Amino acid sequence: MNTLAASPQSFLSNSRFACSACMQQTFDKAVEQAAFFRLWSRLPALSGMAMIAVMLLPAPTASQVIQEQDRAAKTSTKTWVQPRTPDGQPDLQGVWTNVTLTPLERPPEFANKPGLTAKEAAEYEKRTIQQQSHDNATDRRGYNEFWAERGTTVAEGGRTSLIVDPPDGRIPPLTPQAQKAEEARARFMQQHPADGPESLDLSARCIMRLDTSINHHADRSGVPMLPDAYNSNFQIVQTPGYVAILHERIHDVRVIPLDGRPHVPPSVRTYLGDPRGHWEGDTLVVDTTNFTDKYNYRGSGPNLHLTERFTRVDANTINYEFTMDDPTTFTKPWTARIPMKATDDLIYEYACHEGNYSMTDSLAGARAEEKKTAEAAKKH
Amino acid sequence: MRTKTLIFLLLASMPILAHHAFTAEFDASKPIKLRGIVTKVEFINPHAWIHLDVKGPDGKVTNWMIEGGSPNSLFRRGITKDSLAVGTEILVEGYQAKDGSNKGNGADITLTDGRKIFLGTPGTGAPDEKPDK
Repeated sequence: MNTLAASPQSFLSNSRFACSACMQQTFDKAVEQAAFFRLWSRLPALSGMAMIAVMLLPAPTASQVIQEQDRAAKTSTKTWVQPRTPDGQPDLQGVWTNVTLTPLERPPEFANKPGLTAKEAAEYEKRTIQQQSHDNATDRRGYNEFWAERGTTVAEGGRTSLIVDPPDGRIPPLTPQAQKAEEARARFMQQHPADGPESLDLSARCIMRLDTSINHHADRSGVPMLPDAYNSNFQIVQTPGYVAILHERIHDVRVIPLDGRPHVPPSVRTYLGDPRGHWEGDTLVVDTTNFTDKYNYRGSGPNLHLTERFTRVDANTINYEFTMDDPTTFTKPWTARIPMKATDDLIYEYACHEGNYSMTDSLAGARAEEKKTAEAAKKH
Repeated sequence: MRTKTLIFLLLASMPILAHHAFTAEFDASKPIKLRGIVTKVEFINPHAWIHLDVKGPDGKVTNWMIEGGSPNSLFRRGITKDSLAVGTEILVEGYQAKDGSNKGNGADITLTDGRKIFLGTPGTGAPDEKPDK
């Protein structure tokens, strides 16, 4: 069976069509397909660069960058009409991915540069891909880069941070009480990294994809919807009165009612919070509260009021924006914007705990280390 | 300022914890290099596992499990668990599990003719990158 495609698009469709037959593929064909995937992956980088070149401005300010994006969006929507569901909602349905090379916070090297020129963006992309690649690292601990789906382009306008407010592109300072709480948490986790399953990250336990890591540098959380090293795919399904969002990692689903019902009482808390949606024009606004005390993204917790906005701006793009408002944690609310791009890919099952050897191995590793330490202490 | 310094020092001394740290499960001081025959491929989340029989210098065969990433990314490219056929001889470079068991993290998996399974990132300009067809 010839799976060598003449074009990247037919390669993609062949992959899906061939799925039932790809059981018969020899590994040679898989290697050849990988070479085509590598060509296909270059295309977003090229189109991203073209987009950036179009919106080029010398040393743009933050508001200029965002105005440029809005202008570009409006221009590109001249011939595009917002599709609607049968009951009149703007249609956000489909599978979307939010991978991007733009970091959440503006790196110090770009302190006064909210947007890069096309040339700078291309250089940054190339450098970041190389730095991120596990294949190029001298200390190769992670798996080959083939397992990763990190994205190859920066966000529109050559943005240097996903955060658009505050204008410096950085998370505002924590309140003194939140700082103390984070320090105490860091100390505790350092001393008790693997006492038992409860010490491990919520997603390592296959409960929920929430970033409960000690320093949050992973910046990978299901809510708000942040891109991950892989499987950053979301499926949106709409019915009259509800929007549902399936997160591939780790099979989390949010069902968002649109009928204006109030939030559940403060005594009721859930891992992903309690979402309520409504439309403002063609923008879906989702308010989420009632997080548990296990929620800890960037130091936040049960007092978080998360607001997310979804606006479809063309056939292939949803502008996703989220605001973290938690006065007990952040001295000011902060907002980030991440483009979500349509993908032909399917979402695959993520039966997380079925293969969770890594949790038992992490605990076994901790016990082995303790034994080693105890035996070494006995000798002295 | 002191608070910030304290946080910085605490954080600087911690390994970066992603969803679970490499260092929680594997031992960077125990690198492994194995040559073996694939006996089973588990294409499961959160991590795929490749099982192989490794023949030691004494002729004794031990079974190892090598951890990969999430298989969903590979599915999207048409790679399935049968893409790596049972009976294939592979070379694995990685690090052994911290508890000393026959498990490892598969940083590099190579076929015996030198072709790397699960090739590198497109467009990095890495010196050993194969040209596109």
